[in-house]
This record gives sequence, C-alpha cells and structure tokens, in this order.
Amino acid sequence: MQGYCSVSELLACFLARDLNDGEELQVGIALPIPEAAVRLAHLMHGPNMELIFLGARMNVHHLERVPLPAFGWDRRVVRWAESFSDRGHRFDQVKDWHRRVFFIGGIQVDPFGNTNLIGVGSDYQRLKFRGPGSVGTPTLTTHVGRYYIVLNSHSPRLFVPKCDFVSTVGWGEGGADARTRLGLPGGGPKYCVTPLCIMDFSEDEKRLRLRSLHPGVSVDEVLRQTGFPLILPSVVPSTELPTAAELKVLRERVDWVGALR
Amino acid sequence: MNTGLRSERLRDELDAVAWLADGMTIAIGEPAPMAMVRHIIRRGLRSLTVIAGGLHLDMLIAAGCVKKTISYYAGGGFGVPVAPAFRRAVERGEVAVWECEEGILTSGLEAAGKGLPFLPWRGGVGTSLPEVNPDLKLMRDPICGETLIAVPAIKPDVALLHAASSDVYGNVQHCGGPGWLDLFLARAAACTIVQVEKIIPNEEVRADPWATTIGRADMVVRMPYGAHPYYSRGYYLQDSALLKDYLAAAAPNDSVALKQFLDRYCREPATHGDYLERIGIKRLLALHEY
Repeated sequence: MQGYCSVSELLACFLARDLNDGEELQVGIALPIPEAAVRLAHLMHGPNMELIFLGARMNVHHLERVPLPAFGWDRRVVRWAESFSDRGHRFDQVKDWHRRVFFIGGIQVDPFGNTNLIGVGSDYQRLKFRGPGSVGTPTLTTHVGRYYIVLNSHSPRLFVPKCDFVSTVGWGEGGADARTRLGLPGGGPKYCVTPLCIMDFSEDEKRLRLRSLHPGVSVDEVLRQTGFPLILPSVVPSTELPTAAELKVLRERVDWVGALR
Repeated sequence: MNTGLRSERLRDELDAVAWLADGMTIAIGEPAPMAMVRHIIRRGLRSLTVIAGGLHLDMLIAAGCVKKTISYYAGGGFGVPVAPAFRRAVERGEVAVWECEEGILTSGLEAAGKGLPFLPWRGGVGTSLPEVNPDLKLMRDPICGETLIAVPAIKPDVALLHAASSDVYGNVQHCGGPGWLDLFLARAAACTIVQVEKIIPNEEVRADPWATTIGRADMVVRMPYGAHPYYSRGYYLQDSALLKDYLAAAAPNDSVALKQFLDRYCREPATHGDYLERIGIKRLLALHEY
C-alpha cells in the first residue's frame, strides 16, 4: 500500500463503497475520513445521495469539485444547501432517520461498540481526562438506520473491556436484540474502522469481529492493540485497496488539498 | 412609561451588557456574539451558568466567569479534541458540567419555551447521561410504557445571540439562517439580547416578514464585526488565526500568555469600537466573504 495510498484514503474508499445511492449521509464535526467518504460516494455512485454537513442538506453531484465542510459554517459551503435543519427544528423529524447514515468517533470503545465521548476515569467528579462531550451522538445513533465508528488510532487505551462512561449505545450488553430491549429504533453500528483494520459485529452476540486487515498489518498486532478478545474468522482477508478510478476522484475532486494524504 | 410612541429596543452596548449580572444563566448562540462575550470578561462577571460550547465558552472559563456549564460539546477545533481551559477546569473540579447532548438540550429548552416542567426524549436512553446528570430522570411513558428520559425545563435568564440585522423594534433577520441552537435559546430565555451587524429600516422588515427569525428580541445592539473572530454569514469569515492564537495561549497550565490574550482582546478595550481598532482595519477587511 505504501506509495499507493494512505490508510485514511483506504478507509475513505472502504466507507464510500458501503454507502448506497438515495441515502442521507450526515457528517458531524472533526471527522475528515467520513467527510471525504460521503463526498466520494456521492460522485462515484450516488447521484441521489443527500449530504448533510452541520445542518446544511445538499446534493452537489453536478459539481466538478464537491465542497469541503472543513471550510467552516460559512456561505462558501452554505450556498450549496437546499435546506437547513438548523432553523430551530433540528430534531423534529427523527421518525424518518432510518434513511440516514451517520459516523462517530470516540475516546473509548467496548466489545459491543458502545462508545464514550464524556471522559476517562472512575470518578465523574474527578475525571483523569475530560472528553469533549456527546455532541448530538446519543440522539443520532439512537435513530439512524446505521452508523460507522471511525477511529484515528487503535490501542488498548481506546479499545477497553468496558467504557468508563457510555455516550452512545452500540449493541449495549450484546445480543441481536440488545437495542430492541433498550427501545432504540435505529439499526446500530455496522463497522468499526481503524488505521489497522475493519471490524464488524457478529450476528448473534453483536460483539466486535475482525473483518479485514489493512495491507502490512498482522492479526497479532491487532490483538495486541485491542484491550479485549476479538472474534476471529477462520480466514481474515485483506482490506480491499482503492481502485485507481476511486483514488483519482478522491484526490482531484474531493480531497484536492490532500488532508487524507 | 407610555410616551405615545412605539418603544425602540435598540440599546447602547454598555447599557445592554450592564443588565448582565453575577450568577445568571446565560445562553450563548452561534456564531457566538463575541462582542458581548468580551464585555462579560471585561466586567469580570462571576458564578455564571453558561449554555455554550466552543472557544467562547473556553475563554469565559479561562477568565474565571463560569461556575457551571450546560454543554453538549466543548471541542477546541483545529485538531484540538477538547477545549483547553474547559478540560483543565473540569478535571480540577472548578467548573461543573450539566452533562447533556443536543437532543436533550433542545428538549429542555423546548420545555421551557412551552411552559412545561419537562419533555421526554429518547436519545441518551441506555447511556451514562442519566447517571452523571441526576437531573435527567428515566421515566416510563404512560402511553406506551417505553423507557424515556424526562428532561427538565432549561430556563436561561438571558440568551445572547449574533445576527445579521434587525430594525429598532427587535425584528431580527439572519443571513443564511440562524445558528442551529439560536431559536431554541430565544424561545426558552427570559430575555433575548441580539447583537447585529446592522440596523435596517422597519420598512425592510415589513417587505419580507418571513425573513424575520426572531420577532421580539428584548434588546438589539449594533455591533458590526461583533462575532469576530468567528464568522458572520453574509459579512465575513472566521479569523482562524486569532482562534489558533487563543488555543496556543490556553494550552499550557496557568500560562502568562493566556492572561495576556484575555487582557489584550477582552479586558483592555472598553468598547467594541476599541476592540476593532486593536484588531485593525486591514485584518478585518481581509475576512470579507467572497
């Protein structure tokens, strides 16, 4: 992979392929890989996708270059919006969010894909590390059709047997009915992607399972960097590399500033 | 006093901020009305409960104004995952957090606006939020028996907002839409103060009343460039360099640079005009949208 593409580009292309035409793709703040992935999918195979960046809903399939939400919340991005969820009614139509796809990060992830943005430490009043807060992730992940956990690192500090605090429920205590039991209508996390590998959730237990390894990464390395046992399939494939066509669109029409390089 | 004339709601900046007092619950919109935030720091208000996220919350914490924050997100931006003064003050136990998230916050604000004691919300069920914030009560809904969170009404004493324009009667119009939380804050707060880029004639408001986003702001204050170093849609872009200067100054513990930053940009300028002079016309004009 070295010299062909970066691991962030690999992840953006992987996520882009998993997004379907007609879906609403919402990306929040500080998630450059999903930002690129939804724009790439839109250009490659999603003329009917709707991109939602910080409340601005847009379809920019006709553009030569798809605008970067990283520009900030200014008119250079907002001018492409067809509507805003930000005119004082952001959560008034969550009943339709089964069509929506979302992405989250986290400072801790447990074996069932529950995640933490609140903080690290045993005592909430005296956290060892105060996190940024939950943003809108509890509400979004409760309702959206599916979401992806996208992480910039992979370490035992991040992948812990139990989160100190849970800000978003993935598969709760585990089991295919884990979310139903809690009354959470959304479809839950589908994949957890990191710089080392792609993980999904086993059908019965809904526990993290290694799905594919990025080129040059070994099973041992992943296990060493994960603070709990992962489910291992009998054969672990290699994460599919981006095609030349995907990389061309990604680099020339999506990430022309090279944020993912 | 009935003068026989319609009362204007346009206020001088110092009169408007003089109304703010220690111990208030102050909600801050987006983009942050930085001119008023700087006045809070200049006046050295204390023991505030602040509903906000972002670096303006961080500056208020760094200046010692905040006792408690109702915050759903306090990232630093620019690759800084957590705003530095927020992180430090909360880890030291100096600032309390009313832990929430966007849907819970808007439910509490809507409850206040609607005059209800609480509104139910689903987002957050199954998470630690009701454990770390005991004001959030898990409830069994009496209609379907589902488990939901009862979010108590959140009642700000005042909402401080930034917008594009208003007439002198407090008919506020945004350019490109209000910040996502602004209208929730305006509906929930006992008093809404909006700083605007410009005052427009009442005729202009009446020509397009659908463009009015907030109909009866209690006070409006003319603060051109008042959101600087944030953006103001239709007027100027964010001054990222200054925000990065703040982050650099605030990053180390007990830094002299942080005090110097707050002195230079918040405490020393007596008025918004003084602040703009300190920033300089070249820098401001370079931020124009195009």
